[in-house]
Amino acid sequence: MTAARRLHAELHLLDRQVIHSGDGRLVCKVDDLELATGSDGRPYVTAILAGPLALGPRVGGVLGRLMVAVTEMLRPEEHPGPRRIPMALVSDIGSALVIGGRPLEMALERWARRTVIDPIPGSGHAAPGASAHLPEAAPPGAARLSPLLRLRVTDAEGQEVGQVADVGLRQDGPLLAGVQHALRIDGFIVVPRHTGRLFGYERGPGGYGPGPVRAIVRLLHRGSRFVGWEQVGDLTGDGIRLSVPERDLEPFVFGRAKTGEGRSAPLGSGGGKESGGGKESGGGKESGGGKDS
Amino acid sequence: MKKVFAVTLGVLTAFGGFVDIGDLVANALVGSRFGMSLAWVVVVGVVGICLFAEMSGRIAAVSGRPVFDLVRERLGPRTGLVNLVASFFINVLTLAAEIGGAALALELATGVNYLLWVPGVALVAWLVMWRVKFTTMERVFGLAGLALIVFAVALWQLGPDWAELGRQLTNPPPDEGAPTYWYYAIALLGGAMTPYEVFFFSSGGVEEHWSRRDLAVERANVLVGFPLGGFLSLAIAGCAATVFLPVQAQVDTLSQMLLPAGLGAGQIGLVLVIFGVFAATFGATLETALSSGYTISQYFGWQWGKFVRPRQAARFHAVVLAGVIVATALILTTIDPIKVTEYSLVFSAAALPLTYLPVLMIANDPDYMGQKVNGRFSNALGTVYMVLLVVVAAAAIPLMIATKAGQ
Repeated sequence: MTAARRLHAELHLLDRQVIHSGDGRLVCKVDDLELATGSDGRPYVTAILAGPLALGPRVGGVLGRLMVAVTEMLRPEEHPGPRRIPMALVSDIGSALVIGGRPLEMALERWARRTVIDPIPGSGHAAPGASAHLPEAAPPGAARLSPLLRLRVTDAEGQEVGQVADVGLRQDGPLLAGVQHALRIDGFIVVPRHTGRLFGYERGPGGYGPGPVRAIVRLLHRGSRFVGWEQVGDLTGDGIRLSVPERDLEPFVFGRAKTGEGRSAPLGSGGGKESGGGKESGGGKESGGGKDS
Repeated sequence: MKKVFAVTLGVLTAFGGFVDIGDLVANALVGSRFGMSLAWVVVVGVVGICLFAEMSGRIAAVSGRPVFDLVRERLGPRTGLVNLVASFFINVLTLAAEIGGAALALELATGVNYLLWVPGVALVAWLVMWRVKFTTMERVFGLAGLALIVFAVALWQLGPDWAELGRQLTNPPPDEGAPTYWYYAIALLGGAMTPYEVFFFSSGGVEEHWSRRDLAVERANVLVGFPLGGFLSLAIAGCAATVFLPVQAQVDTLSQMLLPAGLGAGQIGLVLVIFGVFAATFGATLETALSSGYTISQYFGWQWGKFVRPRQAARFHAVVLAGVIVATALILTTIDPIKVTEYSLVFSAAALPLTYLPVLMIANDPDYMGQKVNGRFSNALGTVYMVLLVVVAAAAIPLMIATKAGQ
C-alpha cells in the first residue's frame, strides 16, 4: 500500500515557479493557494492563485497595498480577483509546478508586448497567441492559504501554544475534475516563538546540510509541535483554537516529517497518525506526484 | 576549439566581476596604496565566487532554476522583495558605471569626450541584448576581454623586484590605518563576489539549456573563468605596486591605471589594453543589464531569457530596456562612473548573504538536487564562507562611514 503524498504548503508549493507542460514556457509563481471546504469541514486546495492581487497581501505593508490598489484600478471588473489555475491542471510538483491546459498569459505581459515590445523592429512576429480570456472568478466561499501562516494558536484552556510555521498537506482530498485527489489540510507545524521560516530543515531523515545551518534553524524552533487537523477546534481569521490542552500535543520531531514521498495514491489509503517514524523514501526531484488515472 | 568556446560564459561572467570598470581602478588603487598586501583578499574572493557560482550553476543545470527563483522560494515574498530591491538598485548603479567605463575607454582611444560616447555605447549594448544570440554574445565578449592578459605580460616586462612584491604580501604599509585597510579588503571582496555574477551565470546556464549531463562544462566554466579573472586583477595590482607605490602616487583615473601597461608592453600593449578594457566593461554592461531583467522576472515568475523571441518575453525585455535608459540618464548627469562602482561594491557586499544563503540551502536539498547535493567539502567551505559573508555584510556600511569611503 502506498501512502498518500504529503507536502508542506509553504516549503513545497508557495513561491515556486509554474511552467506550462506544452512548451516549457514560464507562466507565473504560486503567489497563493485557494482553499475550499470539503464535506467533512476540512479545507483542501482547489487552485493556484497568481498575480499582484495574490502576491500583494502576502508582501504586506505599503508596497503590498500599492500592488493591489494599482491592479484593482487598472482592471475593468467590479471586484477583480487574482489569476486562478485549477489544481486539476497540475501534473507535477518538483522544483517547479508543471501545468497542462490551454496556455495562459498574464495581463501585464500582454500590455508590455503591445505597447513596448511589438512596436520595436525585430521583436519576432507570428508567435502563437495565447488566449486572452479574463481570469475566472473564484467560487463563492473560497479562502486563501497564506493567512493561515503565522496564525496564533491557543489550546483548549486558552493557553498560547505558538504560531503556525507551515501547513501540512496530504493528497487524499476529494477528486478534482475526476483526475486527481486534492491536497487536503492535514495539520499544522506550530512553533513556539516568532523565529521565522523553517527553510526545509524540518524534513528528514537526519535533515539536510550544512550541519551548522540545520542546527541553528532547529535550535530557533525547538519546542515545535505538530497539530493534527482533528485537534483543531475552531479556526478563524484571528487564530486557531485547539480542542485539546497543550500537554496532549505531540512534539514535532525534526527530521522525521515525511514529505514529498509517494506518488498520489487512491483515496482512503493511510489515515493513520501523522508522526509515524518511518523512513523517508529517496525523494529526488523526480518524485513528483503524477496524475492519477 | 569547441571546448574553448564552452567556457566563455564563465570568462564573461568573471570578467564582469573582477575586471569591470570599478575593479580595474580599485585594483590599481589598492596596488598603488597598499602594494600586494591585500592580494590575499583576491584569493579569498576567487575561492568564494568559485564555490558560490559552482553551487548556483549546478542547481541551474540539475533543476533548471536560476538563482532568483531560489531566493524567492526559500526566503519568501517579503525578504525576497528586500533582496530584489537591493539587487536591482546595485545592478542599475553598476550598469551606469559600466556604460561610463566603456565610454571612457573610447575616449582614451579617440580623444572624444566620454559623454558623447555614452548614448552610442548604451544603444549598441541594447541592440546586442535585443538581437544577438546568447552564445554568440558570450563568445565574442568573453574572448575579447582576454586582451587584458596584456597586464600580466606588462608586469613581466616591467621586471619588478619579485622579492619586494613577495614581502608586501604580508606587510601592509605602515602609513595606512587599519580601518582603511579593512575597508578596501571589503571593497575587493565585494568586487570579486558580486551577486550579479551568480544571477548572470546561473541564468546563462539556463539560457544555454544546461542539464545534468553538462555538469562537467559547468565546473570547467567556474574553474577557468573566475581564477583567470582573479589572476588578472592581481596582475593589475602588481603593475600598480611596481610603478606607483615607490613614488607614492595614488591612482584614481582610468588613464593612470593603464600607464603601467604602456610602460611595460609598449605601444601595442597600450592599444591591446584599451581594447581589453572596452571589451571587459562592455561585457559587464551586458551582464548587469541582463541581470536586472533576470532578477525582476525571476522574482515575479515572468517568462525571461534570450532563448525565446523578445515578444514572448515582453516584460523581461521591457525591464532591460528601462534599466539601460535609466542607467544612461544617470551617467549623463556627469556623475563619476568610478566613484559610483566604489559605492555599489560595498553595498553589494552588504546584500550578499541574502543571495548566498538560499543557494547554500538549496544546493543541499535533495528535492531539487537528487544525488547532486553538496558534498562534505563544499559544505564545510560553504559554512566558512557563510560566516565570513555575514561578518563582512555587517561590517561593510559602518566601515564605509568610519573611513569616509576609504579616504
